[in-house]
Amino acid sequence: MRSFRSRFLRHVRRSTVLPPLVLALWGWVLVWSSLSSRLDLLLNAAFHPVVAVAGVVLMLLGLMQLRLAGRRVPVAPLGWLISAVVALLILLLPPRPSFSDLAASRPDSLSAAPSLSFFLPPEQRTLTEWVRLLRSQPDPELHAGDPVRISGFVLDRPGEPLQLARLTVRCCLADATPAGLPVDWPAEANPQVDQWFSIEGTMVVQERNGVPVSVVKPTRMTLIPRPERPLEP
Amino acid sequence: MTRVATAWAIFQGLLIEALPFLLLGVTIAGLARWLVPQSAWVRRLPRNPLLAPIVGALLGFALPACECGNVPVARRLLASGAPLGTGFGFLFAAPVLNPIVLASTWAAFPDKTWLLWARPAGAFVIALALSSLLGLIPESRLLQAALLEERRLSQPLSSIGLLERRTGLVGAGPSKPAMPAQSTALLPRQLLSHSTGEFLSLLTLLVLGSALAAVVQTWLPRSWLLALGSAPTLSVLALMLLALVVSVCSSVDAFLALGFAAQVTPGALLAFLLLGPVVDLKLAGLFTVLLTPRAIAITALSASLMVLLIGQWVNLVQL
Repeated sequence: MRSFRSRFLRHVRRSTVLPPLVLALWGWVLVWSSLSSRLDLLLNAAFHPVVAVAGVVLMLLGLMQLRLAGRRVPVAPLGWLISAVVALLILLLPPRPSFSDLAASRPDSLSAAPSLSFFLPPEQRTLTEWVRLLRSQPDPELHAGDPVRISGFVLDRPGEPLQLARLTVRCCLADATPAGLPVDWPAEANPQVDQWFSIEGTMVVQERNGVPVSVVKPTRMTLIPRPERPLEP
Repeated sequence: MTRVATAWAIFQGLLIEALPFLLLGVTIAGLARWLVPQSAWVRRLPRNPLLAPIVGALLGFALPACECGNVPVARRLLASGAPLGTGFGFLFAAPVLNPIVLASTWAAFPDKTWLLWARPAGAFVIALALSSLLGLIPESRLLQAALLEERRLSQPLSSIGLLERRTGLVGAGPSKPAMPAQSTALLPRQLLSHSTGEFLSLLTLLVLGSALAAVVQTWLPRSWLLALGSAPTLSVLALMLLALVVSVCSSVDAFLALGFAAQVTPGALLAFLLLGPVVDLKLAGLFTVLLTPRAIAITALSASLMVLLIGQWVNLVQL
């Protein structure tokens, strides 16, 4: 059995079609990631076209080489086979990150907004825009009574009450930075970590740890599925 | 199990984002090999120990990619017989000295004018110093075996013996550089086959580097590192460690740094922007196609030491 396996492996690694097939497979990984909107979960939107083009180019190169293949080639390094297995695993196992887990170990250090959005009416501000605004104008009395319509996931930070949060990403999930808002959860609500909620309500002032802070007081809460584009720039 | 799922997602993000740049780098390296015969331009590159890395560093403007993309180009430069200084100058400075990275740094920090010149200047100094340092090591102990062999094929017989070259033509004139057959007229099929092999080999290493980076950053709370933000020396060290772990492309690292710029010392901020493009976990695998493990260790330690000194100096001046 063992010798059969090693003979089979040797045969595969000597095959002239292995390199073009692995190349095309990786091209398909990129194209499929673009088509299946998997990229929305992994990368900033600015990189999506680059990934799609690279995928198409890789597939074309693979097909071209497949047509030209014919001569014997040296034994392919084992690493190429391993990379092909990884490509198959990526296709078979889609990413299912826990946003709360990802955010919990990262500091809440949002960068400046990519465009000025503070002039939007309060009910049109996204959660991230609210966080940026509260950081630049921290006096909670300024925002008391403002209407709020936001959506986000439930974030559990050690030692803090549950927040509603979003992840901002400049490059890929590796640099995801959380933006969270304190919520005065209704008594009957039972928010679970990583659940997504759409919340309508008002901004109120509450004392937390002896300090007055802006807190979202929901008047209507809806459990929603994760949005198609859960990351914000 | 949740952590494993998160690490798997970070791994996919890092890998898929880096792949197009790796492809770009391999394509440029392949085209350079095909369109420009080695003898035409490699012999014109200056061999002066100071000029060679400067030329290499400035070549970065021709390849606006991040650090993953320039590894194959640097390898092609070295394999073609370019001076070591040019190859290393390009390898270490090009990820910062290119129009996209300079523009993104400016876009992220328009109010920090000192950073707009300190980042390219720092990258330039580090590249010169690393090139000079690595130049002191004999090529046989510095370059990875396959690269060394390919490089020796591109060097004139007058400068290298047949025994060292292992293969070649006996009787070639001492003053006339003997170029390998593959460099003269490369068929499209050969070029495609060679570039495919190079891409797949680098891809394997990129997979390993991305996996390592994803695992480390999933289990190492980033907030621990940034908690050290206000201490002059510790903040520089913490941000250096963060740059090693996060492994994001140099084209976007300035935007990531913007997120914690207010919490850390200026020296730490600069250290993050200088060290990441030269050394990070994602690059660890890719460097093995260029350098021996010992040379990689020397590069990582020397770059870290220089970045630490630069960061400390900036904190002394700015604080």
